[in-house]
Amino acid sequence: MIIGSASYSQSNIDTISNTKLEEVVVTATKTLRQLSTLPMPAKLITKDEIAKSSSTKLSDILDDQPGIFIVPDFGGGNGIQIQGLDSQYTLLLIDGSPIIGRQSGTLDLDRISIGNIEQIEIIKGSSSSLYGTDALGGVVNLITSKAKDSISAEASYKISTFNTNDISVNLGKISQNGDNLNFYFNSFNSNGYDLNDDPILNTVEPYKSYTGFLRHNFKKNKWSYFSSVRIYNENQDFTLNENSYGKNIINELGINTSINYIKNKNYKLIFENYYTNYKNDEEFRLNQNSIEESFFNQSLFKSELRSIYTINKKNTLTFGLGFYSELLKRNNFYREEVSQNSFNYFVQYEGFIFENTNYVFGARYDQYDEYESEFSPRFAIRTQINDNVSSKISIGKGFKTPDYRQLYFNFSNSISGYSVIGFNAAKEIISNLQSLGQISNLIISQDEFEGKLKPETSISFNLGFNIKTNKSTVFDINFFRNQISNLIDYKIIASKVNGQSIFSYYNLNKVYTQGIEFNSTSTVFNDIEISLGYQFLEAKDNDSKNQIKNGEVFARRTPSSPTFQIKPKDYFGLYNRSKHNFNLKISYAFKDYFDIYFKSKYRSKYGLSDSNGNNLLDDFDDFVESNLISDISISKNYKNYILTFGVENLFDYTDRENIPNYPGRIIYSKLNITL
Amino acid sequence: MKTSTFILFSLLLVFSSCQKDDEIQLLDIVSERFDNLYAPQNGGVDQRTGQFAPISGEFTKFNFSTGQVTNSDSDWDVAFRATSIIVNGGISLGTIDEPTRNGNASVYIASGTLASVTDVDVQLLAQDTESGYAIPTGGGNGWYTYQGPPVNLISPTPGKIFVFRTNDGKYAKMEILSYYKNAPDNPDAYSDESKYYTFNYVYQPNEGELGF
Repeated sequence: MIIGSASYSQSNIDTISNTKLEEVVVTATKTLRQLSTLPMPAKLITKDEIAKSSSTKLSDILDDQPGIFIVPDFGGGNGIQIQGLDSQYTLLLIDGSPIIGRQSGTLDLDRISIGNIEQIEIIKGSSSSLYGTDALGGVVNLITSKAKDSISAEASYKISTFNTNDISVNLGKISQNGDNLNFYFNSFNSNGYDLNDDPILNTVEPYKSYTGFLRHNFKKNKWSYFSSVRIYNENQDFTLNENSYGKNIINELGINTSINYIKNKNYKLIFENYYTNYKNDEEFRLNQNSIEESFFNQSLFKSELRSIYTINKKNTLTFGLGFYSELLKRNNFYREEVSQNSFNYFVQYEGFIFENTNYVFGARYDQYDEYESEFSPRFAIRTQINDNVSSKISIGKGFKTPDYRQLYFNFSNSISGYSVIGFNAAKEIISNLQSLGQISNLIISQDEFEGKLKPETSISFNLGFNIKTNKSTVFDINFFRNQISNLIDYKIIASKVNGQSIFSYYNLNKVYTQGIEFNSTSTVFNDIEISLGYQFLEAKDNDSKNQIKNGEVFARRTPSSPTFQIKPKDYFGLYNRSKHNFNLKISYAFKDYFDIYFKSKYRSKYGLSDSNGNNLLDDFDDFVESNLISDISISKNYKNYILTFGVENLFDYTDRENIPNYPGRIIYSKLNITL
Repeated sequence: MKTSTFILFSLLLVFSSCQKDDEIQLLDIVSERFDNLYAPQNGGVDQRTGQFAPISGEFTKFNFSTGQVTNSDSDWDVAFRATSIIVNGGISLGTIDEPTRNGNASVYIASGTLASVTDVDVQLLAQDTESGYAIPTGGGNGWYTYQGPPVNLISPTPGKIFVFRTNDGKYAKMEILSYYKNAPDNPDAYSDESKYYTFNYVYQPNEGELGF
């Protein structure tokens, strides 16, 4: 179904770019919209681009995008950073339904194979007005492929350095009565790699994973049905020696259904149900007698009903009503299991003011028991200023609820003896420890844990222009700012008799991220396409900034030199944020013989931690050097075969201490067969 | 001529004797660096086995007026045992080998550089108590920051200046520079020996003087 406003805008868009005509996205508004008419910053990664880059994992393809970084987490996963906001603040969806399993906040993108993905839609800035929690920095939605022929089959095999094998199979069938079935299977295994000198442990131990995805859609009269099942299994073994070994197993299941009822051309109802479970079990055996086990088992059931009323060609009204039920069991927890049910209600209006100006207004209310309920409005407006220039403005509120770790964690490090406890657990745990005489110094009074931890909230602002200079070049520029309040961080609440500290989570800081993103694509000589991307980013903590201004922050030039006071200009900003990021992609189709694809990504210096003891990152800290990663590939298309040969990280850049997710140069070859 | 010379002479005498009096009243402020004060301890968590044994061992005591380490049971101002720092004033926490406090020393932690802390705020001075030391223990609480694995480094937190009232009622300020032997520029917790304090201090030897 095409929304009226989208089909209206086509006449405007024809003059801008013929090739963009068919680019339709669903993520920005939960209605089908033409990408070029959206009033909020959005980006589409097509199946073509995925194929061209030979990427098999979501982390690979997202790492190629300007303004997006793949950041390794200490817990082992590789998460996404959008507009300077961490993985915790980005919502990741498959066919509109969220992926869960953020053990330490980061969602590991290496878990997701993309061999059955039709397109990846990225909406930047807050979308909590439609999606609720976690949608602060953006929403990434993976749309899976339908079968396109009565019978289709596609298989690919990619072999790369470190004995990494990736096999993907897609089988599709459209039956005569309209059943559309697509089955996807992926098998991945790798020997891992070792960047360190440690003879015992590798940087990444060998692992294997399997993904299965079956989707079905069916349309009859006024009804259409969609259902899918996704399973994922990952296995990793560690062996230190014959006495010390362990394993890590991840199992995931996702079941998604959607029923659409189209009453008439103006009115439509959508009812979606989704269940997902993520399980991680880790076992480590040290010298036979000590076994360390950890487990994490999370489930989510989500139900949503939307009614979409198309008032006329230009105006659409959406009402939504949703329910979430979450359950988590894990070790190091204050309770055996925690669960929460919540309801949400949202409304959205898509309309036009003048012939050349369209807007989206939406708001959502999420009702919670464990923390304060949230109201999240958003307004976005786009104006086609003239044939070549359009502008977009969007302002929205985003939020992220405290995660269960921040509420219920009860963890003590067995070696050094420090503890981390959740906000809701703090009061009871502290009084227990006090009665046992374990507390030597209470820094924060217990009364401070009487209230509720507040959700982290953001105000996101985007201002963008799309400019077409001539037939073959398009520029996009977007200014963004995200002001975040009530950021949850940990601080010391008490010291124990053994001299170690007890930490708990708190609503502490205000931080902001702001910057400019620039993108351009141009075609030269008909067969060379060049795209350029640049992001300037400033990400700072408002409180740290004030402390520096007030002369309260000190540093040392070396760890053993005397203290001096730092100045505002010495403040670098938040950890793991680079100020500059350049992307270059060149693809060259040499007649019908072969295609060459070259891409390069530059990331300017960034800091991973405070090395001079003042709890913030300043110019006198240690930094990770700027780096440039380039990839090149050449493909030959012959009948039903595509053979690709490529090199990733051409110049073999590694930094074993700071960037463990860059294993160095990777040489690969990929064969794709379509029947 | 003679008279005037005499007057001038006597005036000079008076003037110079006045100067002499001032010199007697105000001693020079002492600004020193002390290297490698060794403050060992026994027990604690064994890095290899993870076993915990009660902490013990003599504290290494320091006297500001002599600028030296001392074994005296009473004439000391501040004492060190690994990362713990105590003052000769207040009540013992009761750990093994912890000395009794028989003096009246006290301390507080000011925020600044050693030079920027120019006055003592006597209101802030505190002594050790049976529930905790005046200089809190633990990384991030008191004077140092502990950077966990893999570096395991103890670094003095910048901007933490100790302001002491000494055992004999004078004042001193101190900045710890290093916890590792010979205060290397870039200490390595594995190759550099720890529990060696290097610090800068300023001692005001004049009774009742609150400024440095």
